[in-house]
Amino acid sequence: MSSATESVARMPTGEIREKKAINTRILICLFMVLAVIGTINLWSGTAGGAIFYAQLRHLALGFVAFIVCAFFVHPRHLATYAYWLFGAICALLIAVLAIGRIGGGAQRWIDLGFIGMQPSEPAKVIVAIVTARFFAVAKQSQPYRIRDMWPLLAMLSILFLLIFTQPDLGTACLVAGVGVVQICFMRIDRRTIGAVVLIAMIAIPIVWVFFMYDYQKLRVINFLNPEYDVKGTGYNALQSLVAIGSGGLNGKGFMAGTQTQLSFLPKGHTDFVFSVFAEEHGFKGGALLFLLFGGIAYVALEIARQAKDMFSAQLAVGLAAFIFFEFVVNVGMVLRMFPIVGIPLPFFTYGGSILLTVCAALGMLVSIDRDNLGRFRRPASLGRKR
Amino acid sequence: MQRLFNETQQIGPGRFMWANIAVVAIVSALLFRLWYVQIYRGDYYRQISENNRIQYIEVPAARGIVYDRNGQTVLGNRPYFDLVYVPQFVKDTDTTFKILSRLLHVPAPVFQRRLNMAKGLPKYLPVSLKRNLSLHEVAVIESNKIFLPGIDVAQAPRRDYKAVTPSHVVGYLGEISKKELVRQNDENPDNPYRAGDLIGKQGLEARWERYLRGDRGNRLIQVDAFGRQVDSLERASLNLPEVAAVPGSDLILTIDMELQVIAQEAFKGKNGAVVALDPRTGEILAMVSEPGYDPNLYQTGMSADKYRSLVANPYKPFLDKTTGGIFMPGSTWKAVVAVAGLEEGVINANKTIYCPGYYTLGDKTMKCHAHQGHGTVNLRKALMKSCDVYFYNLGVELGVDRIARYANELGMGQKLGVNLNMELPGLVPTTAWKRLTARVPWAAGETPSVAIGQGAVQTTPMQMAALYAEIGMEGKLFRPHLVRRIVNHVGETVLTEEPELIRTAKIRPETWRLVKEGLTAVVMDQEGTGKNARVEGQVVAGKTGSVQVVSLSRNSGKGQKDVSMQWREHAMFTAFSPAENPEIALAIVSEHDIVGGGGASAAPVAGKILNAFWRLKKDRARLAQAAQTPKAEERDVKRN
Repeated sequence: MSSATESVARMPTGEIREKKAINTRILICLFMVLAVIGTINLWSGTAGGAIFYAQLRHLALGFVAFIVCAFFVHPRHLATYAYWLFGAICALLIAVLAIGRIGGGAQRWIDLGFIGMQPSEPAKVIVAIVTARFFAVAKQSQPYRIRDMWPLLAMLSILFLLIFTQPDLGTACLVAGVGVVQICFMRIDRRTIGAVVLIAMIAIPIVWVFFMYDYQKLRVINFLNPEYDVKGTGYNALQSLVAIGSGGLNGKGFMAGTQTQLSFLPKGHTDFVFSVFAEEHGFKGGALLFLLFGGIAYVALEIARQAKDMFSAQLAVGLAAFIFFEFVVNVGMVLRMFPIVGIPLPFFTYGGSILLTVCAALGMLVSIDRDNLGRFRRPASLGRKR
Repeated sequence: MQRLFNETQQIGPGRFMWANIAVVAIVSALLFRLWYVQIYRGDYYRQISENNRIQYIEVPAARGIVYDRNGQTVLGNRPYFDLVYVPQFVKDTDTTFKILSRLLHVPAPVFQRRLNMAKGLPKYLPVSLKRNLSLHEVAVIESNKIFLPGIDVAQAPRRDYKAVTPSHVVGYLGEISKKELVRQNDENPDNPYRAGDLIGKQGLEARWERYLRGDRGNRLIQVDAFGRQVDSLERASLNLPEVAAVPGSDLILTIDMELQVIAQEAFKGKNGAVVALDPRTGEILAMVSEPGYDPNLYQTGMSADKYRSLVANPYKPFLDKTTGGIFMPGSTWKAVVAVAGLEEGVINANKTIYCPGYYTLGDKTMKCHAHQGHGTVNLRKALMKSCDVYFYNLGVELGVDRIARYANELGMGQKLGVNLNMELPGLVPTTAWKRLTARVPWAAGETPSVAIGQGAVQTTPMQMAALYAEIGMEGKLFRPHLVRRIVNHVGETVLTEEPELIRTAKIRPETWRLVKEGLTAVVMDQEGTGKNARVEGQVVAGKTGSVQVVSLSRNSGKGQKDVSMQWREHAMFTAFSPAENPEIALAIVSEHDIVGGGGASAAPVAGKILNAFWRLKKDRARLAQAAQTPKAEERDVKRN
């Protein structure tokens, strides 16, 4: 007997119908509002033009991805095919390293014939799926130690290294970070935590000296000395901060941000897109944006809390971490709280890969929520040991 | 059947609580940072953002205009047309230059060079490709403008130099030097100069630079990151302030431009200087230094060859000889010696000396300019005929130090304080001076030369005019000056130069009377040497002078034309008119004159100037009278 029929059997049909899908509704609202704001902001950031229309096409694809993930892909599907997805993304990442297109100083793009894509973006979600799958299967009652998690850590390391060598330290760290958050939701052995902290303290200087590229080091240096070399490497960062700061409480108005419209902010559609928004809509607009992203994280965690099985809970936590990290790292970087890394702001930064990934992630969250409420029939053929 | 997946959640609620706390904390931290950047530091960043987009464009000020005493323009401005290239609007540089090259017959690389010089400047700043376009060129450019996006004809006020503009009086403008830039900006930090600014280098332009230059204005424009001017964005609310340029103050000179032009024409072809003063005030009515130069050469650009030829000219075109040229005064100096003789009682009106045509002192014989001799001469005749022997005797009797005492009393050997171009003090030799400079005692044989204004005596034409003004005014000397008033652009007088009495020579009136009588005879007597300077209806007192540059024997028997330039005599004439209460005093110094001595060459120039002076005075009085009649007023009202 499948667990789906079990849970339905435990609850009378009427009760299910009465329980409102409040999380799903909030999530869809946040999704819509952010998509609309982000796309309109892109219009201002690029002064209209081809990029805006391209992003509209991406958004249409994103909706399709959202619908598919929310209504046609059961979490159990994802759990079952997690390692297949892992294999596929590894293959794509290797392909990127082998035949990828170079953009912005790093090899991040792969040409799929009809569309270019950045496999490192879906990797952020797949890492959540893989980690969730690992913990859903492990069923360990003792706190986890390193040796209990070695297959998972191995997989995370593979993804990290594949993305790191593109090179894209920011995305690699974010991918690892999603996995780490998911691990933190399990019970971890105290000695293991201590050991990891110790290793990190030793490893960071070694990474700095031997593994980081010059431009990455420069970004960190720039972050530490903001006024160093105004027109050089720190120019983007400084001008974006000027854009944000000059927005004030109310902002300069839509399409009236002088930093953006007069090109002092060189690329108003890239990872610095938040400064366009903050310049034109001020502190009020920025605070609203923070609440919207904070809201997504909260709702995602709420979905995780209500999840019935370990995989769904873990996946929701991972997706929450993914979206929230994207937001925090990007905005923190633009606000000069973090070094400059190539993390896009979901819905705001131009790009198909990240938009589709975020739409799919939101779709998965809806799918989990629907499963929680028993509205998603669990596929009977899956979930058994072969 | 063993389940593959863990079908229970098993995550403790604490984890979610901590996760939510973390989310709230992180969002709060970001929010705090956003507040810090946008609200707390908002003004700072707004300022940077404004500095980014707003740029100053400086608007040059027109220099002040120079008027003469009657309100006639001596030096004005007129618009000049420049061909400018505005980088932000030019589509194809090569094509544009090709078209321009064909239209203006200038090779394209010339334009390219001008453009390269402006490399690195913002794109909204126009680059000047060719200055001072002719009206024809302006028409050609304007009619082809459709093919020349980004090419414009810009207009700028510049100095309008005319052929009669007295070059040494107004001076010229040149690019400010690095040293001047530092000095000027230290002295006057409110309205600083920039590298490449024009600054007065000589004459009035330099002397009154501070008043003439004006304050540059500025305009604010909005630019983008590429330095292009952008008007579209929030133009209405932009409302950028604009500070209009303040034109420089105008000078009102003491010069009478009509007299100046006449003096220039009368002196044409000669080299040297002419100065005309009003003895009652020290106002300079006309001053000419020849040869001059074309001040426009500096404005339009001068070739290296042209510059070299100007510098190499032996007549020194850049030197203002009125105050910077030193000459032996020659016979015009005899008035000084006469004053000394009368004051010391060495001579009186009746004392006579026999002139045989030569004078012997020890074993040295000096000739009088009239080789046949003047016979018996008294003071009047000695001045009238410019008898050298009379003054040799007088000079030797006085001694050089007594001559010098009276020369100094009259103000010779000192700067007058004209304060325009370089001014030299001249030289009145004394025994002490000789000991000090040459370290040998004064030789008695030098005294006769000093007595006739030669030897070591040196004066400037300005001093000679001032000397005769002082004689005319019987001992009162006013500082020669050139500017009456300076009026700013709204018509307020910002500076007035009042007549300044700088010397009252302690000389007995009887002495003045006798000297004036002799000087009057020079012009008015039938036998006088300066009768070429006569004016109908006016009394003119004056003195001729011919200065030998080398000893007479060298040139004997030759006309001036046959002598090479540097051995020719200087011709001089100094005068004042009328003899009592004079209204004009003047000095003419023609160096290495080709016509002849003072009487033949310089006196006619003085005659022309004095004639013009009195004619102009009469004409102006008549005009003023006509303007005062009631009928004239009616007529003016009707016309308006």
